[in-house]
Amino acid sequence: MSARSIKAIAPVPTAADFLDIVLSKTQRKTPTVIHKNFKISRIRNFYMRKVKFTQDSFDEKLGAILTEFPILDNLHPFLSSLLNVLYDKNHYKLALGQLNTARHLIDQVAKDYVRLLKFGDSLYRCKQLKRAALGRMATIMRRQKDPLAYLEQVRQHISRLPAIDPNTRTLLICGYPNVGKSSFMNKVTRADVDVQPYAFTTKSLFVGHLDYKYLRWQVIDTPGVLDHPLEDMNTIEMQSITALAHLRSCVLYFMDLSEQCGYTVEAQCKLFHSIKPLFANKPTILVINKIDVTRLEDLSPENRALVDEIITKEDVKVVQASCYTEEGVMDVKHTACDALLAHRVENKLKGSKINTVLNRIHVAQPKARDDIVREPFIPDIVKRRKKYDKTDPDRRKLERDIEAEEGGAGVYNLNIKKNYLLEEPAWKDDIIPEIMDGHNIADFIDPDIVEKLEALEREEEKLEAEGFYDSEEEIVDSEEERYEAETQLAQEQKKRSQQRRKVMLPRTAGLRTLSEMSERLTAAGYDPSRIQARAEILAKAQGAKRKRAEDMDVEMAEGEWVDENGDDAMDVDEGQSSKRGKTNGGSVVAKRHPATNRQLAGMRNSEQALKAVKLRNLGQRERNRLAKAGESDRAIKTKMPKHLFAGKRKAGKTDRR
Amino acid sequence: MREISIGAQFENGGEVGVFAKLMHSYCLVALGGSANFYSTFESELGDVIPIVHITIGGTRIVGRLTAGNRYGLLVPASTTDQELQHIRNALPDSVAIQRVEQRLSVFGNVIACNDYVALVHPDTDHETEIIADVLKVQVFRQTVADNVLVGSYCVITNQGNLVQPKTSFQAQDELSSLFQVPLVAGSVNRGSDVLGAGLVANDWCAFTGYETTATEISVIEATFKLEGQEPTAIVQEMRDALIDNMA
Repeated sequence: MSARSIKAIAPVPTAADFLDIVLSKTQRKTPTVIHKNFKISRIRNFYMRKVKFTQDSFDEKLGAILTEFPILDNLHPFLSSLLNVLYDKNHYKLALGQLNTARHLIDQVAKDYVRLLKFGDSLYRCKQLKRAALGRMATIMRRQKDPLAYLEQVRQHISRLPAIDPNTRTLLICGYPNVGKSSFMNKVTRADVDVQPYAFTTKSLFVGHLDYKYLRWQVIDTPGVLDHPLEDMNTIEMQSITALAHLRSCVLYFMDLSEQCGYTVEAQCKLFHSIKPLFANKPTILVINKIDVTRLEDLSPENRALVDEIITKEDVKVVQASCYTEEGVMDVKHTACDALLAHRVENKLKGSKINTVLNRIHVAQPKARDDIVREPFIPDIVKRRKKYDKTDPDRRKLERDIEAEEGGAGVYNLNIKKNYLLEEPAWKDDIIPEIMDGHNIADFIDPDIVEKLEALEREEEKLEAEGFYDSEEEIVDSEEERYEAETQLAQEQKKRSQQRRKVMLPRTAGLRTLSEMSERLTAAGYDPSRIQARAEILAKAQGAKRKRAEDMDVEMAEGEWVDENGDDAMDVDEGQSSKRGKTNGGSVVAKRHPATNRQLAGMRNSEQALKAVKLRNLGQRERNRLAKAGESDRAIKTKMPKHLFAGKRKAGKTDRR
Repeated sequence: MREISIGAQFENGGEVGVFAKLMHSYCLVALGGSANFYSTFESELGDVIPIVHITIGGTRIVGRLTAGNRYGLLVPASTTDQELQHIRNALPDSVAIQRVEQRLSVFGNVIACNDYVALVHPDTDHETEIIADVLKVQVFRQTVADNVLVGSYCVITNQGNLVQPKTSFQAQDELSSLFQVPLVAGSVNRGSDVLGAGLVANDWCAFTGYETTATEISVIEATFKLEGQEPTAIVQEMRDALIDNMA
């Protein structure tokens, strides 16, 4: 109750404390130094402020109390009547009403004295008026001693009330005193209610919880009720009656047929009949307790008839149980929960909210589409595996255990390579660089490399076996020849390395034009006309070829985009590009294309890309027509920024200001 | 059969499905989470399938960025070569790994699949053949209760399918026939409808966020036939409890 529907209430100070709090606050928070030679308006204001401030403090504190205490009529009926039973509604209202009146009186006093202070003609008089005002406020407050004390007690009691949720699934245990209500409560929940062999051990409501059918159930243990008119009932019994009357719950009416509780079976039956109006519209269970002593079957015929009358005439279920031997206790729990659940579901099915959740209480079964069998996949090891148990000494060592051993979080560094599934465990910690010689290693990984190598080796072996190399085999027969071969090899290597180190000329350095050549040829006495004609033909052909290649490039770009997505992403760039670049070494290498055509990124296909280009051009047309400056045109917004040119320039301020 | 369904927590949130991915032949867990999170999986799956710490493009939301099943794994183009190599080394060779360049690259959200059938976002471009090839599944373009993010709003195994709680009867029947498994509408993490984020499941176990209530867990267990439950329990013995809890 307290947690959900009644908020925690701040402690209520006693009247004396209340005064101390407010007056010391005034002393602390208002100016304290005044002099009689000050201007009179200043003196008046000084004291008026004190009076007003005091009044404000009272107002605020009383207001807080008035708003914090719950208004009984606004609460759930159960809470409202429980508070009525416990604290007496009239008394409660009166106390709050008195505080409200006090607040008004204090306001009035402050108003009067502020008005009087306006006519104060000296420091002395103003001070006297202030004293009178604060004194009268204090007197009013001192008169609130009793309501404040009462409210503090109520507050303390409310904070200790059990957290009963009036709307949830509730099992309500009731019956005569000493019939075993609390024992049952202790058996089915973990509430640990005091159980003693005398009547009225339980003096207030107790709440416990149990789990059944994936749901949480609230069990309320009520004090025993005696069979007498409602007016004669005391506060303890009235709590039971309140709970019975206002909670929509399942009622467990406990009966002790052994009469160990000190009440006859007849009396217990009579009580049932007198409080049964409270059971209307609630699933009711008649629990025959203490069957280790007396069962329903052992009952004398007269008593049996009385009990049977209840069983047959009323809409109740009978369950027998013994909290001592625990026989039937679970039976009671299940019967009660099932009855309540059925009752609640029946009510909810009538409501409109059910339609919103109906689709969640439905299992859609598939209609067979084809006759493919779609088996679940559960490895055999799962069935054999021992369930992980924290207390098992030979349990699996988990990462968190290793972490704890190695110094805890932040110290331990996880090795993510340790569970690699590789052919050789020793490969796990191999370091593979990301970039090597300016190339991304991953681009050159070929999944079939081992296979290809093996194929090559096989071919080689085959060739060797067939005697392919026999004829060209060089037989080194003398020292001299071998020395010669070695020196030749060394010279070749040297030559190659020198070539590599050669100073490079630009590609155009050695080029001659056709006219230059024909001039020289003529000078040397040759006829250049044939060479000229041939050069022209070649140049024309070259031009045509280049043009064709350019056209093809465009087509390729579109085709590639589709292709490469279908390809394994880790493949090497193997496309023999038509464009070839030249390195500084003069060797011709394949130009690396980007993996994708970025112009097409985010586009579905080339048509969409073309359309985008068209739209862009269209958007620029008007601007171009008017020759307007675009975003990309160079612009200097401010020729002389003020901050760079204004003011005196001191040392070191010429370039930035 | 022994099956498990337990709560897990990643940095105090119940978004298990964001930071982990559970398949029948492997389990992916975000690198940089707590050892506790990893060990939750380890205690249930250790010795059975490899549990791998990974990142995708440097992020930890591996569950949302990847899609896969017993046969394969799709990772987005943002995956770096090193990450791809790491995944390759850690997963068994029977699992095909494919980096797919696609506009809708959050595969965990746009693909929902088990070992036989995959549902994809209706706007996925012509990549469905790759999905079919790598995952060895039949691919359908479909929505779940008008949500295009099929992977976020449904969780599927070979034994059952949990879809978001607002799915209508008709849509449920359609989806169930597509997947060829029984289907139930439910929630996780105290009423959250983004099931993909709060739940990971396979044919013998499931992990769900710590917030998930007992009722939700019972629905999950029944749906995926865990702990010896059957989906029919939802309309039989669990029906009353569900009505009382939800209505």
